[in-house]
Amino acid sequence: MFFYSVFKTLVGKTVVVELKNDLAIQGTLVSVDQYLNIKLDHVSAVDPARYPHVATLKNSFIRGSVVRYVHLPASAIDTALLQDATRNEPGNR
Amino acid sequence: MAESSVARPFDLIKLNLDEMVQVKLRGNRELVGKLHAYDQHMNMVLGNVTESVTVIDVDLLNHQATGANVVKRNIEMLFVRGDGVILVSPCAHPHDG
Amino acid sequence: MSSLILSEMLNGLVQVITNDGKVFTGRLRGIDQTTNLILENCHERMFSADEGVEEIRHGLYVIRGENVVLVGEIDEAKEEQTDLASVRAEPIMALVH
Repeated sequence: MFFYSVFKTLVGKTVVVELKNDLAIQGTLVSVDQYLNIKLDHVSAVDPARYPHVATLKNSFIRGSVVRYVHLPASAIDTALLQDATRNEPGNR
Repeated sequence: MAESSVARPFDLIKLNLDEMVQVKLRGNRELVGKLHAYDQHMNMVLGNVTESVTVIDVDLLNHQATGANVVKRNIEMLFVRGDGVILVSPCAHPHDG
Repeated sequence: MSSLILSEMLNGLVQVITNDGKVFTGRLRGIDQTTNLILENCHERMFSADEGVEEIRHGLYVIRGENVVLVGEIDEAKEEQTDLASVRAEPIMALVH
């Protein structure tokens, strides 16, 4: 549940979700669940010329299993806090 | 015989928090960056990352590799999903490889 | 079902992208925890670099969750302004895990 908590602190921030099919979608993080499924509002493809397929979408639910990366806003991350939380997390062996 | 503490693989990863690591991923991808967080799935958050993607050029007629190209990009803060991770290793120097 | 993220999209007009790169549109009538979907009046959109978008009618569709990449609510106003016949694009790539 560790990264689920991390993502919950990022609700409202703009992120880019990069998928395993190379599609990259930018949007505002609206919700996340235990599977790290993600919902984004105000979505747009990072390369809209290549991906007109998603041009008419209002929002996007992205299945956690298809995510390669999520580009995070560095300003929203307290790295010291994150490291401490990682060390103290009982779920981390 | 003195009992030695068994270092589990995740204990070794824990030692690398706040250090530069090299992460090899599926799909001929490599990341070098500072390890800020991880979990038992090997999901990670890395900072100041350089991603290197190796693209193999293939001659379609001969089915032979004609060359390899490395495409790099920098990402300030990156969550990496663990199911793509092959290996994690400390870097001797920043932005190794 | 109300606690699932997808429940907000129930009964809405949605677009689904699947693992094999196919694009479907339809009304979302059913969901579950594994992202299995029921799409009513499902149409498949086939994109091409040389020709306009071709639509194939499929009817009532069940899509197995492990094949789902993305589910998005369609902005019907934007849809109406889009001339699918003039859209040129390579099909979306199949997913590589």
